[in-house]
Amino acid sequence: MPQTHPFDLTGKRFLVTGAASGIGKATAIALSALGAELILWDINEAALKATASSCMKAVHTLAIDLKNTPGIRETLLNAAAEYGPVNGLVHAAGIPYISPLKSLSENKYMEVLQINTIAALELAKAFNQKKVSGGANGSIVFISSVYALVGSAANTAYAMSKAALHGITKSLAIELSPKNIRVNCVAPGFVKTTMKANTDQLFNEERDELLESLHPLGLGAPEDVAYACAYLLSDAAKWITGSIMNVDGGFTAK
Amino acid sequence: MENLESSLAELLEVDSVNEADQLEQFEAWDSLTSLSIIAFIDENYKVQVSAKELLDAKTIGGLKKLITEKTAR
Repeated sequence: MPQTHPFDLTGKRFLVTGAASGIGKATAIALSALGAELILWDINEAALKATASSCMKAVHTLAIDLKNTPGIRETLLNAAAEYGPVNGLVHAAGIPYISPLKSLSENKYMEVLQINTIAALELAKAFNQKKVSGGANGSIVFISSVYALVGSAANTAYAMSKAALHGITKSLAIELSPKNIRVNCVAPGFVKTTMKANTDQLFNEERDELLESLHPLGLGAPEDVAYACAYLLSDAAKWITGSIMNVDGGFTAK
Repeated sequence: MENLESSLAELLEVDSVNEADQLEQFEAWDSLTSLSIIAFIDENYKVQVSAKELLDAKTIGGLKKLITEKTAR
């Protein structure tokens, strides 16, 4: 089917990790609405199926634990063999870790790094294989955070995992440009997701007011980030690589 | 729970703690220390304590009781 509009994703196939909730779920639904076929991964199988049922096009779901680093590449290779090459991916899976320096645990921050950062690298490594991407052309989108750009107490491990994605984004953008594989990163502000809800209980009620005040446009919705991902995956963004796109309601404009 | 007391002492930046000690009376007690204690309990006892529950526990003894109750569930 000829593509009629550069934002149209008809005929393309994308992988979205963390697709059971939040930004990953909204991204899956947005990509599907734009015509894409999807491969959706998450550790939460039941919620993943719910995302799939909200999608309009063909969806292949798989329950996967991204802490199993060696399994990532093989799983993506298998998916491409079964469903066909993928045109790009969004690594939206991620876990928060709120802890001041004195209670930081090595086990926990290594887990945060494995899921938020190392999995991103392994996905890129898999995507770089001809069997996965189908040769040349493609778009990889990582999701970082405003906390990769600005400091915040008790967020060191999370910030480390997300800031590392910026380094990965820029280096891979250069390395993969000869194959026309674009690599970009979206840095969201606070979005109303279950991840945020899960961390809310750690704080008193004043935190919500504070968070709101950090965003000139208020807190975001998962769709606000999803649409940025859809754009970066589409041919409309064919001249964009190595960029960090702030999608944060003005958080970092201040 | 002996390990818990020494870990709490470390997080509260004192040499040792007693059951009757009021959490809010520690010099190091602030929002970050309270977050540290929550993160420590989550990591080591696999239970989630909210900021409010921690405040309501009031003392070291109250905190130990809270953890015991939560881990028993």
